[in-house]
Amino acid sequence: MFDFDATLPLMALQFLVLVAILNAVFFKPMMKALDERNDYIRRNQVEAEERLSKAENLAKQYQAELAETRRQSQSVVAAAQAEAQKIVAAQIAEAQEQSRLQREQAQQELDQQKQEAMTTLEREVDSLSRQILSKLLGAPV
Amino acid sequence: MLSFLSIPSLPLASLEVGQHFYWQLGGLKVHGQVFIVSWIVIAILVVASLLATRNIQRIPQGIQNFMEYAFEFVRDIARNQLGEKEYRPWLPFIGTLFLFIFVSNWSGALVPWKLLKLPEGELAAPTNDINTTVALALLVSLAYFYAGFRKKGLGYFAKYIQPTPVLLPIAILEDFTKPLSLSFRLFGNILADELVVAVLVLLVPLFVPLPVMLLGLFTSAIQALVFSTLAGAYIHEALEGHGEEHEEHA
Repeated sequence: MFDFDATLPLMALQFLVLVAILNAVFFKPMMKALDERNDYIRRNQVEAEERLSKAENLAKQYQAELAETRRQSQSVVAAAQAEAQKIVAAQIAEAQEQSRLQREQAQQELDQQKQEAMTTLEREVDSLSRQILSKLLGAPV
Repeated sequence: MLSFLSIPSLPLASLEVGQHFYWQLGGLKVHGQVFIVSWIVIAILVVASLLATRNIQRIPQGIQNFMEYAFEFVRDIARNQLGEKEYRPWLPFIGTLFLFIFVSNWSGALVPWKLLKLPEGELAAPTNDINTTVALALLVSLAYFYAGFRKKGLGYFAKYIQPTPVLLPIAILEDFTKPLSLSFRLFGNILADELVVAVLVLLVPLFVPLPVMLLGLFTSAIQALVFSTLAGAYIHEALEGHGEEHEEHA
């Protein structure tokens, strides 16, 4: 059971050769592959994080722009409403003015006609009273 | 050993311990069965690694995914023991220790080697031969001495008298007990597991040994983990070298 012979050193040599072979065909390539994969993953992760932060910045920017645009549109709407209000008010005022003028003109015409009628009436009264007088007196005055 | 129990009608269930399929290399004797299985184990590891890393994708699939899981497992062993800063140069050694021992143990537990007849001895896990485990344990010792000297030069010896010179004998003894306990723990567990399974198969051929086999798979995996973890701990101790004790557990 315990007979030592040349198997021992030969086995040791053989094992060292196996270490060298496996180092060349197994450990080194595996180490390299795993390191490369780690690098790849780390790089990708960093890139992805950069991209994520970029996307978040963009989103924030868009939000800000959106808010700005919304505010602008609101002010435009408000301005348009104010303008329309102004136009409406002006037109109403104009219309009112016009109607007032027309009314005054009509009033004036009315007054004038009344005046005219009064004067004609007075004149007729005058002539009539003169006729009556002449008839009563029978002779021209 | 136990040959009085062997039943000729059950080829799966005979026990041979201490018999080896000897090869002569020049004037040297080697255990052929250990090398055959260890070559198969090495071939499995190398082929799986080649398949996994032949065409590395960013999104792993199939064999690459599986081998990445194995890689991360051994990397965690090395990193937990040596720390984030030191583990990289030692990862191939500790990782290969784990993978080699794990595949060896499981090949012994899962592959019915008995079906392949050898002239002498039998195929089994390479780790159930004391030569293999001692070789690995001595490599661990060399590794941690190398780590210590490389980091601190001759200042490495300071750790032997660091808290107090009284402990010098124990500190020296430790350098012998470490490889001894490493090798015998692995060797004993794997051999005992195979023996228990073999004896049970011999006594009750069907189904009854299954729970013990499952337990064997479990201890095999645990032994690989323990061996590589302790190797990492020893190397870390040599690198740190303030005489902290790492509890050993079998």
